[in-house]
Amino acid sequence: MKVSRAGDRIVLDFADGESGVLRSLIDQYLEVVGSDAGADPAHARLFPAAYRDDAPAAEEFLRYTRSGLVDRKAANAARVSLALDEETVRLTGADAEHWLPLLTDLRLVIADRLDIRADDDAVPDSPAGEVYSWLGHLQESLLVLLEEL
Amino acid sequence: MAVVAQLVERWLVVPDVAGSSPVGRPINSTHPLPAADADLERDTEVAPDVPWVTIVWNDPVNLMSYVTYVFRTYFGFTRPEAERLMLQVHHDGRAVVATGPREEMERHTEAMHEYGLWATVAKASDA
Repeated sequence: MKVSRAGDRIVLDFADGESGVLRSLIDQYLEVVGSDAGADPAHARLFPAAYRDDAPAAEEFLRYTRSGLVDRKAANAARVSLALDEETVRLTGADAEHWLPLLTDLRLVIADRLDIRADDDAVPDSPAGEVYSWLGHLQESLLVLLEEL
Repeated sequence: MAVVAQLVERWLVVPDVAGSSPVGRPINSTHPLPAADADLERDTEVAPDVPWVTIVWNDPVNLMSYVTYVFRTYFGFTRPEAERLMLQVHHDGRAVVATGPREEMERHTEAMHEYGLWATVAKASDA
C-alpha cells in the first residue's frame, strides 16, 4: 500500500488483494456492529459504558444512543466500502475523515480478538496482528496527509 | 499484507464454537476495558445546576495522533491544547475534556463513542 497526496486528494494505491481484505473486514465489522447488544465482546469497546459506577445510568444512555450509533457507524463503513471498488482510491479530505473512525473501530474489534487490553500488550506476530498494524499505519498516513491538504 | 491478503480469515466475527477462532478467543469470556484508578461513585440525585464532565480514558488501541485529531476536530481545541489533553490521557490514564450540563456532556460522550474513543460522563465533583 502506498499513501500519497496528489493536489487536493489523498491517493491510496493498494497492493495486491489489500483492498479485498479491507472490504472483507468491513463486511465482518458490519456483522459485529449489527449484532444484538452485548452479543459480541467487542461491543464493550465500540459502545463503552458511559457511566463507570452507575449501571442504570449507563443502561439508559445505551438505550438512547445505541441504535443511532449503530446506524451511523454502519453507514460510515458502507460508504468506505463503496470506495474500495478500485485498487487506486482517491479521497478528498472529507472522505478521509470518514475513514478515520472506521479504522479505529476495526482496530478496536481486532484488539478485542487479540486480547490487546493495555498499552504494553504486544501485537502478536500473526496475520490478524499484521492486519491490526497495517490498519494503524493507514490511519496514521491519512492523518499526516490530512494536515497537508 | 501480501501473505495476509491470500488468507480469507474471519478475524472480526466471533466463532460459533468457543475457542475455534484463529486467535483463540472464547465466545463466553467477557473482558471489560481496563479498570482505572479513579473512584467516580456518585449520587443519582443531584441538583440540576451541578456541573458535569466528559472524561476520555486511555486505551491501548487509539493512536496519539488520532486522539489529538479528534480533540481538535470535534471540540475545536487548538493544537497545543489538544496535544496537552491527549498526553494527559496517555500519561494519567484520563482527562476531562469538557465541563457543563449533564445532557451536553452526554452528547459529547456519544460523539466520542462515534469516533471510537472511550469516554464517560461524571459529576464534576467526582472527577
